[in-house]
Amino acid sequence: MLGLYVHIPFCSAICNYCNFNRGLFDAPLKELYVAALLREIRAAADSSAADTIYFGGGTPSLLEPPEVGAVLQACRESFDVAPDAEITLEANPETVTSERLAGFRAAGINRLSYGVQSFRDEELQRLSRLHTAERAAEAFAMARAEGFDNISLDLMMWLPQQTVAQWRESVDALVALGPDHASMYMLEIYPNAPLGDAMARGSWSVAPDDDVADMYLSGLDRMDSAGYVQYEISNVARPGRESRHNLKYWADGEWRGFGCGAHSTRGGVRWKNVSSTAEYISATAGRGALVSERRPLTPDEQLEEALFTGLRLSAGIDLQAVKMRYGVDVWARFGEELHPFVDERLLIYDGRSLRLTRAGMLLAHEMMTVFIRSTVR
Amino acid sequence: MDQAYIRNFSIIAHIDHGKSTLADRFLEHTGALQAREMEAQVLDAMDLERERGITIKAHPVRLNYTADDGNKYVLNLIDTPGHVDFGYEVTRSLAACEGALLLVDAAQGVEAQTLANAYLAVDNHLEIIPVINKIDLPSAQPDECKRQLEEIIGLDSADAILASAKEGTGVHEILEAIVARFHPPTGDPNAPLKALIFDSWYDPYRGVVVVVRVIDGVLRTKAKIRLMATAQDFEVDGLGVFSPKATPVDELGVGEVGFVVANIKVVADAKIGDTVTEVARPTTEPFPGFKELKPMVFAGLYPVESHQYSELREALEKLRLNDASFFYEPETSAALGFGFRCGFLGLLHMEIVQERLEREYGMDLVTTAPGVLYRVTTTDGEVHEVDSPAKLPDAGRIAKLEEPVITAMILTPTEYVGPILQLCQDKRGVQKKLEYLKSDRVLITYELPFNEVVLDFYDRLKTMSRGYASLDYHVTGYWESPLVKMDILVNGEPVDALSIIVHRDAAYERGRALASKMRELIPRQMFEIAIQASIGNRVIARESVKALRKNVLAKCYGGDITRKRKLLEKQKEGKKRMKRVGRVEIPQEAFLAVLKVGTE
Repeated sequence: MLGLYVHIPFCSAICNYCNFNRGLFDAPLKELYVAALLREIRAAADSSAADTIYFGGGTPSLLEPPEVGAVLQACRESFDVAPDAEITLEANPETVTSERLAGFRAAGINRLSYGVQSFRDEELQRLSRLHTAERAAEAFAMARAEGFDNISLDLMMWLPQQTVAQWRESVDALVALGPDHASMYMLEIYPNAPLGDAMARGSWSVAPDDDVADMYLSGLDRMDSAGYVQYEISNVARPGRESRHNLKYWADGEWRGFGCGAHSTRGGVRWKNVSSTAEYISATAGRGALVSERRPLTPDEQLEEALFTGLRLSAGIDLQAVKMRYGVDVWARFGEELHPFVDERLLIYDGRSLRLTRAGMLLAHEMMTVFIRSTVR
Repeated sequence: MDQAYIRNFSIIAHIDHGKSTLADRFLEHTGALQAREMEAQVLDAMDLERERGITIKAHPVRLNYTADDGNKYVLNLIDTPGHVDFGYEVTRSLAACEGALLLVDAAQGVEAQTLANAYLAVDNHLEIIPVINKIDLPSAQPDECKRQLEEIIGLDSADAILASAKEGTGVHEILEAIVARFHPPTGDPNAPLKALIFDSWYDPYRGVVVVVRVIDGVLRTKAKIRLMATAQDFEVDGLGVFSPKATPVDELGVGEVGFVVANIKVVADAKIGDTVTEVARPTTEPFPGFKELKPMVFAGLYPVESHQYSELREALEKLRLNDASFFYEPETSAALGFGFRCGFLGLLHMEIVQERLEREYGMDLVTTAPGVLYRVTTTDGEVHEVDSPAKLPDAGRIAKLEEPVITAMILTPTEYVGPILQLCQDKRGVQKKLEYLKSDRVLITYELPFNEVVLDFYDRLKTMSRGYASLDYHVTGYWESPLVKMDILVNGEPVDALSIIVHRDAAYERGRALASKMRELIPRQMFEIAIQASIGNRVIARESVKALRKNVLAKCYGGDITRKRKLLEKQKEGKKRMKRVGRVEIPQEAFLAVLKVGTE
């Protein structure tokens, strides 16, 4: 079943650590952009069955509820969207009001993912975020009040100046709110990020690797004891509330992305739309190429990517499924190289599946590289 | 050709004192090459030399010069390599000359290298004309240079010529002095042929090209010649001179310099310093001073990717065609797999070979720490030469262990004497002489274990003297030393490629420094790595690289799997550049860690 992704490249402010495809909010541009999205979605119509829709960004919650409604309408007209589809909107706490939330819900959104990042104001300030911890809690309460029963909160660890204890404070605060789903990532300061300069100016530092490992493990422990189940390296959920959309990325699924810089994977081909908002808008109107990169996967690449993404899942790689789909006995092919990881208790091989232990999740890349045998370009 | 009109000479100079520029001016001035058809510094033929600004081997050049006296002279400029690694080649080049220009940078003054080579020239009974170059520089101190020439080398500085090769000043004067002050070659044209080989190289079309200076007799095409050291006979296919382009001639008479092509297959057959004579009428005595060139510095060269082994062997074979002083033999390392133990004349020579392998042959190499040739007497009374720590017999079987010793001449401004003496002491040196010269310079002569010099002596000398001290050395013998083999163990397993031979008293400190350097160089891996330095069974230092606990688990943006993949490919590529020893991935630079210990 297909997942649909809709990219919204606008933000009210540019976070100093973010290198996703986004730009500053501009109302007239946004209107042109939404119109372009509708054109792209309609042009792609093929009535395929889809069971998730995900608005990612950027800050999708900057859209007006009727705009979200129009996009969803276009999706339903163009694809066979299941009645119980999971329809997620990424939202920043400072952008929502009860009215807007009610509007999103009425438009069809049934899952919210708040980019909270931290429940400590000084950390949020260092990240140049616009909200406070209090505002995040309010936004959560408002969403509950408007009937959202599937809310995810994002947290980041390894923030500038953050200690292990301070990270735990944020996790505790998250648990106290009781969301249905949580994502926990490590902040990666990409080269030339403005945050890098801010860190230099403020003489900020980040925790040593061992502490970050402790952050990760203690955060997950806390979530375990609060009744959440880890289903992916960076994601936990109450049973049944796993992100069905994101699972497609890891479980060798298919998705169709709309919007500038959106990625798609279908029929063994990965492709990406042009990144620039302006070029995207023109391209949907027939001027210029819409797709900027297109990569048909070789059978080997398909297998390799199915394996390294599958390893992110707590359930791991279903060896029988891989054998059925690719005709490859994974352990026969990679077992010799993987064995040391099994010995180190980073990886579990039980004959049916290959899955990471929690210590192994922290070192996932070490094992994922084993599967990479070819080089793309 | 009338030998009275021949002058054979060299230019002795320190690196960067302007030798190549002066040679270029000679070419211009004598019309050998028009300025516009000259690429800067024609004499430095190899790319590598040009980049490093040092001359390893340049063709001799024949200059046709009409002097002020109206006579036409043939001036043969014979190049001398500019580095201590090639000291023997310098002596052979000088032996082919009657005179030498001693070129000194007016701003830098006399350096140890100049000094050493000037002594060599004096020993070879060469007439010396001092030339003070770069007098156009604002910082030029020609009077100071003159004082140094008199005081340090003992030359009469009144005869010194002031020049600026860059601007062309003094060039004519130098050429006139060459004609007037250098002697023509003496030699008997009717005596049996005797010619000195002072250079040779491999040419893919003509085979080995041998460069000779005729001492006695005449060398003719089609002559049957014998190379005396190797006792091999060849027929001369062609003779020629470099003017500077290769130009064929029918014969080379007494005092002439030129090249011989005689279907010689490998340069090892035409050894530098060997004598060429005629089979039919051989000379009784070869030209004196021939020595077999022996490699002094040894290191293991391994392909990073084991499948490149045969490629590496082919590359070494090709290099060896052109460089008889370089030696290699297969070696197997438990840590690094199949590779070669290679011998070099010195560290620069080693670097040149390494660089050529990487650049010209596209090899990706792991080099082990360089060492010297030890002499081991075992308890059964046999003497062995040991070029690798791995070949050192067990301590119980060693009756006597000797290491090569060099005599080093260090010339330095007085202010750095203290630290330099300390360095020499630290390196187990024995002071031989300490001469304070009037010109605020000190000439320090030390005997030092060659091994210590190979490690990091030169870098440290340069650092502590801010580049002012200069060094020249010759291997002068062996002395007995309490040396021990120190092993580095990674996760309990000795890594043979990391073993070194070290003085007992320095072992503890070296071991600690080495283990700690290894800890820095080996990246954290998924298990803890123990690093130990040990002598025999005794562990003298230990360090550990803690287990890696995390990779960065960042958010995946909207299903961009390609980006994740590229990240993993990059990580995998990084691992490929490491050598796997047991379960541990060791980066290439770790195998040279011993060189880096204590230098920063």
